[in-house]
Amino acid sequence: MLTSEDMISTDSNTAVELNRLHLSFDGQPVLKDLSLSVHHGHKVTLTGPSGSGKSTVLRCILGLVMPDSGTITILGEPVTRHNIWQKRRHIAYVAQEPDLGTGSVKQVIETPFSYRANAGLRDNLARLPEIMESFNLPQPLLDKQITRLSGGEKQRIALTIAILLDRPIVLLDEASSALDAKNKQAVADYFKQAQNTTVLSVAHDSEWLGFATRVVDMNEIQKT
Amino acid sequence: MNRIIDISLLSLAGGYLLLIFPLAIMLYLRVDMLKETAVAVLRMTVQLLFVGLYLQVVFKLNNPFLNLAWVAAMILVADLSILKGCRLKLKPFLLPMFIALVVSTLLPMIFFAGIILRLPGWFEAQYVIPLAGMILGNCLRADIIGLNNFYQSIHTNEKSYHQSLAYGAALAEALNPFFRDALRSALAPTIASMATIGLVSLPGMMTGVILAGADPFTAIKYQIAIMIAIFSGTAITVFLAIQLTVANSFDAFGMLHPDILRDY
Repeated sequence: MLTSEDMISTDSNTAVELNRLHLSFDGQPVLKDLSLSVHHGHKVTLTGPSGSGKSTVLRCILGLVMPDSGTITILGEPVTRHNIWQKRRHIAYVAQEPDLGTGSVKQVIETPFSYRANAGLRDNLARLPEIMESFNLPQPLLDKQITRLSGGEKQRIALTIAILLDRPIVLLDEASSALDAKNKQAVADYFKQAQNTTVLSVAHDSEWLGFATRVVDMNEIQKT
Repeated sequence: MNRIIDISLLSLAGGYLLLIFPLAIMLYLRVDMLKETAVAVLRMTVQLLFVGLYLQVVFKLNNPFLNLAWVAAMILVADLSILKGCRLKLKPFLLPMFIALVVSTLLPMIFFAGIILRLPGWFEAQYVIPLAGMILGNCLRADIIGLNNFYQSIHTNEKSYHQSLAYGAALAEALNPFFRDALRSALAPTIASMATIGLVSLPGMMTGVILAGADPFTAIKYQIAIMIAIFSGTAITVFLAIQLTVANSFDAFGMLHPDILRDY
């Protein structure tokens, strides 16, 4: 069942558009004719039971999983094998239980800014203390090894990097699952005020839905 | 200096008696390696006998083309054993690995034998085959460690690799940490053996040159040259092996082809 906003629109107001995605893993259908469009600046949260393919939707948008059929349009252009690398530069992604590699927290935060694609964003690191403070991350954490951090701390570091990258589209995969109520609120408050940022998040916990402008059940946007 | 004393075949056969000790220990501790040991000893004997006979012919003819053909055959065998040792798919890697091994064996060999040591007949069987063999053997070990480390590590750390791509990394940028680790682990054994050589063990080549009746100081000069050639060869080979196989191993989206690693 499709609602009017879920229907495919080709207007330039759409940040992310998924059109009739099909995907199977080992013969098991994961995405069944899934369509969804997310407008610029909207905060959409996907909900559904675990195993319903919510995380897979985000991974498809990033080109980390290839749908068997269907199209993905990001900022008005269909994603292809030729433009995926450029499309990824418009997206920030915070994985569920993020794996940020090895090294000190400071190195981990600085690494994405050493990539050529992000060369123009190095000045954003000046905002690091401010963002860390708003997520209740103390400064001495920067010298710790990333692997020694708790799940909640890692999540907040990943969110911090996502914000510093200043992407128009942010994909959050249960990105506040390990946070306490206070930090969840801090994250929700941040994205609520980021009016120009389009956020597509995946969640089952109710607190996270606080900043969503729209909550979409996986069953509503694909065949059941 | 005395010429080396040959070992008679009968005495050599007697040498196998030394195997009593490892076999007895295995039996005593019930270590299940008897069959493996027997096969390994048999293979070593047969392979070396054949090589010995073949090399006698190669040395006698001493034809540069035949010498090169022998080196090429050694490289091909090394190529196949690396791919087998890495559990990598054979076909797409065969040529890139062959190129990596040819460059990493010939470049240091020609440099040291031809330019530094100024051996009169560096293309002669007596020099070209043992030198190539030593460099190649070490390249083989380094490639197995390096390639295994690289591809397995990407496979097991898929999440952090994907995260780098999601942060906007180009393929080379996302692979960089894995490349660095692979190179480090492949070079570490050679660096460690250079650092302890002479203190912990007398290396094979030096022992061979001394046994053959040469002055120990000459033996040392050869050993230093070969160690540097080996180290340079291992660095070149691992660098090229990874660099040249990456093109066939990732799709246009930067995903590792799932069937690149066998047994997964």
